[in-house]
Amino acid sequence: MFNKLIKSNEFLVFLIIITLSIVIGMINPAFFSVATIYDILRASNVYNLMAFGLLLVVILGGVDISFVAITAVASYGTHMAMLKLDYQGGIWLYFLIGTAIGLICGFLNGFLITRFKLPIFDLTLATQTMLYGFSLFFLGATANFDLPERMVGYYGKYLAITEDPFIGTTGLHISVLYVLAAGIFVWWLLKYTIIGRGIYAIGGNREVAKRSGFNINRITMIVFVIMGVLAAISGVTQSGFQRNFSPTLFIGQNLNVLASVILGGASITGGRGTVIGTFLGVILTQLINRALILTGIPVEWQQFVIGVLLIIFIAIPAIREERARKVGHTTELSEEQA
Amino acid sequence: MAEKLLRVEHITKHFAGVTALDDVSFSVDQGESMCLVGENGSGKSTMIKIISGVYTADSGDIFINGNHYKKLTPMESMHAGVQVIYQDFSLFPNLTVAENISISELLSTGKKMVNWKEVKELAQEGLDKIRVSIPLDAIAGTLSTADRQLIAITKAILADARLIIMDEPTTALTRREVEALFKIINDLNNQGVATIFVSHKLNEVRQISQRTVILRNGKKVLDQDAKDLDIKTIEYQMTGREINTSSIKYSKSDTKSAPLLKVENLHLLHGFFDLSFELYKNEVLGITGLLGSGRTELALSLFGQLPADSGKIYLEGKKIRIRNIFDATSRGFGYVPEDRIREGLFLPQSITDNIAVSIIDTLTTVSIFLDKKAKKQLSDNWIEKLNVKTPSGKLPAKSLSGGNQQRLVLAKWLAQNPKILILNGPTVGVDVGSKSEIHELVLTLARQGMGILMISDDIPELMQTCNRILLMRRGKIVNEFIREKTTEEELAKELVATDSNNH
Amino acid sequence: MKKTTNKIITLLNDIKEKSAFDGQMVLLVGIFTVLMVFFTIMEDGFMTERTFSSMGFQIAEIGLLALAMMVSILIGGINLSINATANLGAVLAGYFLFKVFPPVDTGEIAQIFTQINFPAEGGNTTIYILIDILIPILVGILTGVINGYLVGYLSVPAILATLASLSLFTGISTGLTKGRTITGFPPNFELIGAKTISGIPIPFIIFLVMTVVTYFLLNHTTLGFKMKMLGTNPTASEFSGINNRAVIMQTYIYSGILSAIAGIIVMSRTMSAAYEYGSKTYLLFSILIAVLAGMTPGFGNVINVFISVLILQILSTGFHMVLLGVRGSSFFKDFSWGILLIIIFIFNYFVRGRKAQE
Repeated sequence: MFNKLIKSNEFLVFLIIITLSIVIGMINPAFFSVATIYDILRASNVYNLMAFGLLLVVILGGVDISFVAITAVASYGTHMAMLKLDYQGGIWLYFLIGTAIGLICGFLNGFLITRFKLPIFDLTLATQTMLYGFSLFFLGATANFDLPERMVGYYGKYLAITEDPFIGTTGLHISVLYVLAAGIFVWWLLKYTIIGRGIYAIGGNREVAKRSGFNINRITMIVFVIMGVLAAISGVTQSGFQRNFSPTLFIGQNLNVLASVILGGASITGGRGTVIGTFLGVILTQLINRALILTGIPVEWQQFVIGVLLIIFIAIPAIREERARKVGHTTELSEEQA
Repeated sequence: MAEKLLRVEHITKHFAGVTALDDVSFSVDQGESMCLVGENGSGKSTMIKIISGVYTADSGDIFINGNHYKKLTPMESMHAGVQVIYQDFSLFPNLTVAENISISELLSTGKKMVNWKEVKELAQEGLDKIRVSIPLDAIAGTLSTADRQLIAITKAILADARLIIMDEPTTALTRREVEALFKIINDLNNQGVATIFVSHKLNEVRQISQRTVILRNGKKVLDQDAKDLDIKTIEYQMTGREINTSSIKYSKSDTKSAPLLKVENLHLLHGFFDLSFELYKNEVLGITGLLGSGRTELALSLFGQLPADSGKIYLEGKKIRIRNIFDATSRGFGYVPEDRIREGLFLPQSITDNIAVSIIDTLTTVSIFLDKKAKKQLSDNWIEKLNVKTPSGKLPAKSLSGGNQQRLVLAKWLAQNPKILILNGPTVGVDVGSKSEIHELVLTLARQGMGILMISDDIPELMQTCNRILLMRRGKIVNEFIREKTTEEELAKELVATDSNNH
Repeated sequence: MKKTTNKIITLLNDIKEKSAFDGQMVLLVGIFTVLMVFFTIMEDGFMTERTFSSMGFQIAEIGLLALAMMVSILIGGINLSINATANLGAVLAGYFLFKVFPPVDTGEIAQIFTQINFPAEGGNTTIYILIDILIPILVGILTGVINGYLVGYLSVPAILATLASLSLFTGISTGLTKGRTITGFPPNFELIGAKTISGIPIPFIIFLVMTVVTYFLLNHTTLGFKMKMLGTNPTASEFSGINNRAVIMQTYIYSGILSAIAGIIVMSRTMSAAYEYGSKTYLLFSILIAVLAGMTPGFGNVINVFISVLILQILSTGFHMVLLGVRGSSFFKDFSWGILLIIIFIFNYFVRGRKAQE
């Protein structure tokens, strides 16, 4: 059991995180502080929410690109409506309405995919375009900074506060609770419900899943609804952070979130992936971003370094596999030889 | 007298003008081990699908445990205790053994939550029933074919199967694993579970069955105790022809000239060791052995897909190196695969394109520009020569029947005019008629000077085409048979013989 | 009499085959026609030379990228790095000029602007323009080699490989320009991007030419043949003697060259180079065009891609004109494009269903 743990992809990512942290810490000792942890968590919370949803889709065997558009429509749409009502209350109502919108968007994706048997990548490509277009055209083309009164302080709603000489005052933001709740929910869904096992089954062998009796349409629908809801929550949260609502929220970020999910050990062909792995993948991504800043690499070259790291990340296992393939496939013979 | 477990009576089934089954009747006792034998196109697959409810017979009756079913559904069939294990084992490669075994049960109970303790207990219960031990936490995809098959059987047992139908179960098993499987089948039979073993491997059929039913062209031609059958009889019944080997126009191999191909000390890690042999012009050289003997690896090595680690290869006297498929094809090697769908054909593309694909570089007008007329001519030429039954070369390859598809693959290679043709299980999944035509073609090609390597475990096939037959076991060549001086029985015995280490 | 009718039927069949006629094309031509009619009715100024001229200038960039995407999908992969390649080519070309003709003030201004200080008079503009065309093409080839190596030789899934290379290429562009836009290209450089030949915008001609080249590549060369077979069944392709790796490499190189040409046109049209040009939309639209055109591994028609590009452009220009004055008209195009695709998907679903029944 312990052996399996060590060999797992999640553990590897964990090790990388530890190593990287130590390296950063050595270059810049200010890194080793509670403030850093709070800060990293805060930045990654919104990504984690999206990533947990995307994880479900990836395990199912598909790639959803529209979730970023859902974050925008859910948050911006709610805000535009609230502006008209001159709402001045707290963020909770935004969460409520935003979630409803996210649910509808997720349902739309799920419906089109199941009813018309459409490939997930292609369809979500179309809905992404449609949703951003909808957002920009029908709702508004510019970011809006007119926050409801009681929401202004949201970005500073901490569970615990700390003072840091470099970062300043920061804390453990309340949104970490959402991540905790979402993470536990998705983990529980995947491990302890038939629906969750069904997601793995479909990703593993769709035909057999059908034959075994899984209701593929229902499971797919559930996955996309959850994706939509989590995307919406992420969108509202982020808007609260940046203290404005944007119709192009998170645009272009979908590939980053996907990269985090893959980094966390999910297989792009489906059937594999865990919540812990995804969480670590997101943290690692954030850490790399930070590492780049702290190591003093000029801002303009950070993207380049990320690119190089990505290439190395995908090339190394690929090279190893190539070598293994050349050395020899194993046949029953090798077993008998032993 | 105890009620028979399964009785099918006067089953007839038509498909778009083709009669798949014609008035077939047989029965299976509780705990009986029966073999259903037949060539491709004999109707055995259709019969299985009717028993399991996937197809509905046009006429006839099915009785399971005395209950009469006119129109059987898959659900009913399963509930009645019929379980079919297909060649893909219906497994989830990414889930654990325990989950794979228990999942169908879980689903049928309609529960929404998963109790892992239950899952494991259930799986263990199943494994215990067939006295097999496989780690419950292992991921199914990492297990050997044999183990995965055992999981499939366990699943069937858990579903309270009274009749387990196995479709070509030994295709990817080693000798040892086949023996293990037979033991389990015996156990099951002793526990009262009947088994129908669908196969075309005659030596296994005789070993495992108490009774053999042979289908040919949709009709039942034999139904008797297996003990009394010999290979020749079975084969005769399966094909309907008495293959009189004296009437076959074998090719006379040219042993006077230097060998066409000479292999010395060829070695492939985890594949084969120290192989040396010769292939002469006009010769059909058979290479046989069970799974794990290295025969497939040898074929792939000569074709360049699994280049050998060391050793020498001489083609027409000249030393050559085969490091990749391009090396092989450019030197005049052709390869007709067993899995033609994956390795030989481009199903959605046109028949013409399938034929032209290997020599496309020669079908040009100027440098890389295609000569479409030449391509069409080439294709029409070979469609006719090899008798590929199709109204037009433009149709996709998937529109062809199995036998015609294999002919298409042959056409692709013959278009290159190869010096050496490697055939790896060339008539698997091919109907009787096409099979004999392909054999005739092989002999014709050999007579015309080609050297042919026939890799097969189909003993009649080997005896009907080869001049010599090499037997491989555990990566080495252990015996050589001259066809004229051998019999099918002898070959069959040698094939399944174990050496002193009981391997 | 019978002979003539037979001859006519054979002739028609020949035309039908030679024109690679297929159902998807009928659909696309139909949509094209409907849109043309729709916008002509809605907007007086639509059916004018000016409109077509402006469309002709804009269409080339996305059109070339769509072709670049198409070939990568044909072999069963995808190329997410096309826009990054286009920009990288442009940035490197501009950077070269920037280094050769540094800004006069080497003080603070040089830190702020990436401004090429091309001499107003004299100086052999042609040479530099030629170099500025050559550099992107070389970049296109190089990026193609990188992608081809990752996907063909290392067997990395194309979506991951080109995602990584996209990051790398963007990273280089960002690093060199410090996020700024390079401006100040030589005066005659706009020749490509802003001029016409007998009334037809040069970019459109380039796009048309490359479409024809691609058509010939795919339908009349051995490489094109191998590409489609590889896309259909990579295993059988290898077993049939096709050098998969070489084909993949060549495909990504061609894709890179097409992307680079797109970059040249952008450079010429905007007289600038930036790491992020089109980054939010172009990649997405090129995939959408491919999907609309019915591209799948092993199957795809250049003509369909061409028509799909036209459709996108018409939607874009059309809605822009109709909604002139209404803010955010280009967003409506996005919205309608998404809806259009969904409608096509649903339509295809029903067509497939009927075909299956036949």
